[in-house]
Amino acid sequence: MARNSYFFAVSLVVALTGCGSSTPDKKVEKDPSETVKPDAGTIKEATNSSEKNKEEPAKAFALGDMIKPFDPPILEDLNAKVQWVDRPVIDAAPLLRERQAKEKQLATVEEALKLHNDSPQDNERILSALGRLPSEEGKEVNWDATINRHSFGDVNSTNPILASSTAEFDISGLINFGLFTFDWAFTPFASKDTVVSWQSSKDGLFDKVVLRDDLTWSDGRPITAHDVEYSFKVILTEAVPVKAQRSGTDKLKWVKAYDDHTVVFFHQESLVTNEWNLNFSVIPKHVYEKTIAKDPLLNRHPDHVNLENNPVTGGPYTIKSRTRGQEIVLERRESYYMHGGKQVRDKPYFKTVRFRIRDNPSVALLGLKAGDIDEMIIIPEQWRTQTTDDEFYKTNTKAYALEWTEFHFLWNCQSDLFSDKRVRKAMSFAFDHKEMIEKLRYGLDEPCNGIFNSTSKWAPQPAPKPYQQDQDKAEELLDEAGWTDTDGDGIRDKTINGKKVKFAFTVLVSNKQDRIDICTLLKQSLDQIGIKCDVKPLEFTVLIDKMTKHDFQAAFGGWGTGTDPDTSDNIWGTGQERNYGQYSNPEVDKLFIAGRHEFDPEKRAEIYRKIHLLLYEDQPYTWLFFQNAYYGFNKSLRGYVFSPRGPYHYSPGFSSIWKPVVP
Amino acid sequence: MKPAPSTIAEAKNARRPARGFWSDTWRRFATKKLSLLALVFVGLMGCIALASPFIVGVKPVVCKYKGRIYFPCLSYFHERLENPIFVKELRKKYSVNLRKKDPDSWAIWPLVRQDPFNRVKEDEWEDQPGNPTGSDGKPSRYNIMGTNQAGVDVFAQLVHGTKIALLVGFVSTGISAAIGMTLGALAGYLGGWVDMFVSRMIEVMMCIPTLVLILALIAVVDKATIWHTMVVIGVTSWTGIARLTRAEFLKLRNLEYVIAARALGAGRLRVMFRHVLPNALAPVLVPISFGIASAILVENALSFLGFGSPPPNASWGTLLNAGQRSPDMWWLIFFPGIAIFLTVMAYNLIGEGLQEATDPRLREGAK
Repeated sequence: MARNSYFFAVSLVVALTGCGSSTPDKKVEKDPSETVKPDAGTIKEATNSSEKNKEEPAKAFALGDMIKPFDPPILEDLNAKVQWVDRPVIDAAPLLRERQAKEKQLATVEEALKLHNDSPQDNERILSALGRLPSEEGKEVNWDATINRHSFGDVNSTNPILASSTAEFDISGLINFGLFTFDWAFTPFASKDTVVSWQSSKDGLFDKVVLRDDLTWSDGRPITAHDVEYSFKVILTEAVPVKAQRSGTDKLKWVKAYDDHTVVFFHQESLVTNEWNLNFSVIPKHVYEKTIAKDPLLNRHPDHVNLENNPVTGGPYTIKSRTRGQEIVLERRESYYMHGGKQVRDKPYFKTVRFRIRDNPSVALLGLKAGDIDEMIIIPEQWRTQTTDDEFYKTNTKAYALEWTEFHFLWNCQSDLFSDKRVRKAMSFAFDHKEMIEKLRYGLDEPCNGIFNSTSKWAPQPAPKPYQQDQDKAEELLDEAGWTDTDGDGIRDKTINGKKVKFAFTVLVSNKQDRIDICTLLKQSLDQIGIKCDVKPLEFTVLIDKMTKHDFQAAFGGWGTGTDPDTSDNIWGTGQERNYGQYSNPEVDKLFIAGRHEFDPEKRAEIYRKIHLLLYEDQPYTWLFFQNAYYGFNKSLRGYVFSPRGPYHYSPGFSSIWKPVVP
Repeated sequence: MKPAPSTIAEAKNARRPARGFWSDTWRRFATKKLSLLALVFVGLMGCIALASPFIVGVKPVVCKYKGRIYFPCLSYFHERLENPIFVKELRKKYSVNLRKKDPDSWAIWPLVRQDPFNRVKEDEWEDQPGNPTGSDGKPSRYNIMGTNQAGVDVFAQLVHGTKIALLVGFVSTGISAAIGMTLGALAGYLGGWVDMFVSRMIEVMMCIPTLVLILALIAVVDKATIWHTMVVIGVTSWTGIARLTRAEFLKLRNLEYVIAARALGAGRLRVMFRHVLPNALAPVLVPISFGIASAILVENALSFLGFGSPPPNASWGTLLNAGQRSPDMWWLIFFPGIAIFLTVMAYNLIGEGLQEATDPRLREGAK
């Protein structure tokens, strides 16, 4: 189980639509293996592959052995019993088109391409002009185009239900079949590409989905409701090493296919968060049925090995070729958008999507400048210095947008040093926030005051002020908490249980220089008030391992945003799996439970605002900054639109990006 | 063709004090200009290392504060050498707070007022601006070798890094020499199963790629400091020295004087370390000198890979690592690169000089 919990540590659950946007809806650990918007790991994969050969299934294969036995009623009985309410079934592209029709275009494409992104206004103009979708007929679209995307790491598996890193979600987002997705404002809906109707019961205990009848797998077989039921059972089979997808899905009571197109999801409890648990990837039943029991790890049976490189996909793309550590090439699937000789779904804009794997940001940037890569995340250092000259702007442009990704120092609230709220506050006061924002982050990022960004509806208004350095106050708080230098050696100490404890600790950080620099600044700040702090850079896997075991005093970390505020429960709830700092506040626990049960949106928001304020008061983290999304794009790309989760991880996300015909 | 002395008395009169092996070696060594220059260079580095807090730093070399004299700069050698009063009353910000807290205080500052670990901030010195960050940190009047991305002065890191470079070289090679010579001596002198065992051990050690072994060992240590790095480099690089020592011992153990010593009843250890080792030392000195050079390189490689001493450290390799992230900040590569190059070359020249001076076959004009 230890293995599982560490993968849960980077848990995300994906919901994928036919339009091919990868949409992990949970909070994502900010993995250092990628430098800027590192969702989840590449280093992790290296570890995995080395473990692969030793790995044995924990248990014999028994399909769905993690689900409690349940006897679903027949559909007629269910229909008679419950009152169905229609839920939205939406196509994300028209939704975005509608939104953009209302927005004023601030510059023409030609003007925008000439601009250098030196000010917020220029950034607005670039996004406004180049972020547009093409017209509905798409005459200006180059339908044979190839996009070369950058990936910080290789994928461990191309099987969508095994996905756990950003790289894996980016791939599975294009090849995977899913029923649900959400838009840039994190409103969930069923995808029109795959679903005819979605109904929830009035009591919130059931969801009924009718699938379209023109869906086929890439091997020509129809996609049916039975595949959905089967995938649910596979995900909740202990012997199958499902990492991210299990969280959320395990909250479901049962999934039942009543015929080829009708599937009903049974929930344990009536919760407002139930709709997020419907999101999981679907794999073809007819492909895995016979072999999975022989090889539940899905990586040894010859058929499974073959499927890794040539998976049977339900999404808009198939895998054309794959070179480990180098690139993965996907190709548009005609049988996805054509059915019976007729076009039934939007044709994906790119014929070929190539992921080029470059783990070093400097190397990736060279690739962008050379035109080998069309889009990539730029690290702040590069944004400010290496992407400002004409050489960069010759073929590229760049854009940024607010992303709800925060970084923090994490204090272990059960350790001798940080169990006292006053000490944690003193840490927040001692740190030189101004130096960090202005010098180490080059003034590009915003200070952070707590778990929700102030532009989110869950954040309290007015928001509490971010901490500023005030060392007098810090010293006052430390004196108050009993940490004084009694032996005159320059380091504060305190007698705890009859033993003198020195205020000396180690802050763990992933092995990335920009993060180490921030920890070094903490060391310097604390050094001035008589606290000894060592900085220890670690590999990401080791760091997560230590944090999961609570084997640390302080650490530097970051969280991307989840789609629903309830996803933070497993970071703040007492004893929850990602509550690395062992923070515990019964009031916060109660509020999270209340939040799940509150169906009125305004009242619900009020609950999370309270949580935000409680956490701000307790300072289990010293919140540092929100890291914006910085991207470099080739000038030939259009249609990039940013959400608080960056330009890809929502719907339409990647599927709104296109290349125009070269005149 | 030495004329044989006819009488003992004549011989006594004619005798110049015979040159010993070592003074002979030194005489030959001193004729090699380059090697001598290298030796001077290493000596100079030693001086820089010892004097680093006086050359560059932000803590006064000497200061008078509230009627007492302090030497705060010594804390660059060890943090405990800084008087706690400066934490409590000045928050270690001497530049601003010394005057503020005690108007009568005075201080003598280092030649260059830059810190090897932290950025010099805007409000720190009245007559000196704050260090730029990012790629703005080009070499300038105040940062003669530029600054790194975080705004820390490169010159300060280079000077304080000398300490690390020298220490690493001497300590880790000292360790490897101690291990190598002991094991080699045992193997060569005792022979038999000991020799068998040690030789196989050496072979096993040589099979393992050193850098991988070092990375593995460092991962085990919880709070790795520069001393751990030195020990790890030391315990992984003794094989060459052990082999040479063993060979020397094999050669020497059957010489007459050794047999004589044994016949006189000298114990094994006494024979090995009093009689044989001094004579086996000369060829071993050469790999030691080369070993210092390679230890410095390994430490820099480790820092470059991010596995060196914990941050903030002023190792030259750390600077190279920073330079690799921003190719346009040439000064991050150029200056530490030169420093590493010169140092490693100096040790190699010394090694070469020693080799030529001690090995009769390599002596000029020999034969």
